[in-house]
Amino acid sequence: MKNLRRRFVRTVLLVLGVVVVSGTLFSATIVMQSIQNSLRIGTYRLGADVLVVPEKYEASARNALLAGEPTSFYMKKDALDKVRAVDGVKNVSAQVFIQPASFSCCYSANVFIVGFDPRTDFTIKPWLEESIKTIPEGNEIVTGREIPVKVGDYIPFYGTEFKVVGTLEGTGMKFFDNTVFMPLETAYRMAEQSRKKARQVLNISSDDISAVLVQVKSDITPDRVAIRIEHDIPGVKAIVSDQVISTVRQQMFVLLRSIFLIVGVAWIMALLMIAVVFSMIVNERQREIGLMRAMGAKKSGIFRLIMSEAILLSGLGGILGVTVGGILVYSFKNLLIASLKMPYLWPSSFKIAVLVLGCIVLSIITGAIAALYPAYSVSKMEPYDAIRKGE
Amino acid sequence: MIEVRNLTKTYNIEGQVITAVDNVTLDVSEGEFVSIVGHSGSGKTTLLSLLGGLTRPDSGTVVMDGVNLWDIDDNRLSEFRNKKINFIFQFASLIPTLTVKENVCLPSVFGQYNAGVDEYAVRLLEMVGLSDKINSYPSQLSGGQQRRVAIARAFINTPKVILADEPTGDLDEETEKEIISIFNRMNADDKVTFIIVTHNTELAGQAKRQLRMSNGVLKEV
Repeated sequence: MKNLRRRFVRTVLLVLGVVVVSGTLFSATIVMQSIQNSLRIGTYRLGADVLVVPEKYEASARNALLAGEPTSFYMKKDALDKVRAVDGVKNVSAQVFIQPASFSCCYSANVFIVGFDPRTDFTIKPWLEESIKTIPEGNEIVTGREIPVKVGDYIPFYGTEFKVVGTLEGTGMKFFDNTVFMPLETAYRMAEQSRKKARQVLNISSDDISAVLVQVKSDITPDRVAIRIEHDIPGVKAIVSDQVISTVRQQMFVLLRSIFLIVGVAWIMALLMIAVVFSMIVNERQREIGLMRAMGAKKSGIFRLIMSEAILLSGLGGILGVTVGGILVYSFKNLLIASLKMPYLWPSSFKIAVLVLGCIVLSIITGAIAALYPAYSVSKMEPYDAIRKGE
Repeated sequence: MIEVRNLTKTYNIEGQVITAVDNVTLDVSEGEFVSIVGHSGSGKTTLLSLLGGLTRPDSGTVVMDGVNLWDIDDNRLSEFRNKKINFIFQFASLIPTLTVKENVCLPSVFGQYNAGVDEYAVRLLEMVGLSDKINSYPSQLSGGQQRRVAIARAFINTPKVILADEPTGDLDEETEKEIISIFNRMNADDKVTFIIVTHNTELAGQAKRQLRMSNGVLKEV
């Protein structure tokens, strides 16, 4: 440690090099993990193989699913029967997406209202049964994790008061986390009553739906069913949920490839920098090392001395990098979500711990690899040569 | 104690072969005080490093205390140096990041012997007149003081042989006399064998046996 303090500025620069590499690696990996984590949970929760929406609103529907951007579009309810009739379709259920609404009492941000049909639903209902063991009825609603209400609260929407009977676990997908779920019939009733009670009228009728969620039979792929739906029913777009996810994965892959390329280049530079600096360090200390050898230090002792300095430095850089990277990602999480337009859910504590450890170990390995040659070459020098060359 | 037979060491400098030590044969008994004089570049320092096992000869043998230094592996040679030999170099040879006492105790760290080392280091520092500098760093000492610390360090492992290269080089006359008297005392009381390379005629004159080195060849004076 005293040796490292001897050249303080150089030591600090060396540590900073490792901080940049480990910090970037940690941040990039944690962001990637968070997006994947959210996609995994989100797609599991979506539960539908295909989402049928009005043709013109494909982009809005995708944005709603991935970025949770509130949207509203409608088609006639007969689409439900038409989709049900398509070959390969196993189950169908309608959902209605309602104009963003705000409730002034406590939450200024817009929330997204989704009406689902408890009789036919196979996406929200199993989740509700599993997590909150109740299905909303009448003027009852279930809210996503990000909506700051608790069970038992009453919230007004479009002039009607609703009782919160459950809150859902977080998924990282705003489509679920910023959404209020209510039965389809309740949504229609709310729209009807808005004409009398609300300042803002909700113009939907009980014949309107926004999307048909489709489960396909096991002997056919969702892609083929989607093609059939679009062929058989004019004016609709069938979005295959796997394709949505794979599109996001592809976007992520492009982004991450660039990030990891930068991390890779930075890693090689850090490796070279540490190697060069440690070559300089051992050159400067050749006489000192020769003296130690003359006093009885073994080759292995000298090798360990240099390696331990490199490991100490790179370990310190790794710890600082992970800390700085973690703080930055945590602090700028919302900015990240907004700019990436992707769902985001922190990985489990165990995964984060593994990642932290992995980044620190990688930093240490980097330092060890970089110092390997300088440490080896100086340790194998004859003491007298080291003393003479150090003069 | 030390048996040197046909010791030769050459260097290849820019394609030219320089014979630094040329077929040297020498016997030194236990407790002998030997001085080697000679011009700069005559091979004195190289001979000293060959005797201490710091560099491998091209040919010849160095047997010390019954051990042929170049027959044993590097680990055993390091242990042998640590226990039997110590060096006083002609340059400032302290580790700058260690205190005076830590520098003196350094050989004990490599030899992993700790019992009584601290107390002995303090006694040795008192002996060289630096008891008030125990916790100072080398940068806080004058060149002469640093040399005295190196001399104290040379005795920390109670060596059988001290190989000293211009040990009184930076010292004032008074300190020089003190150091010579310490050498004489260690030689007489503890039977430490001294082989000293020096230009200092007074120090060389203290030696019971004087040798002269010229162009790598060693001769009795």
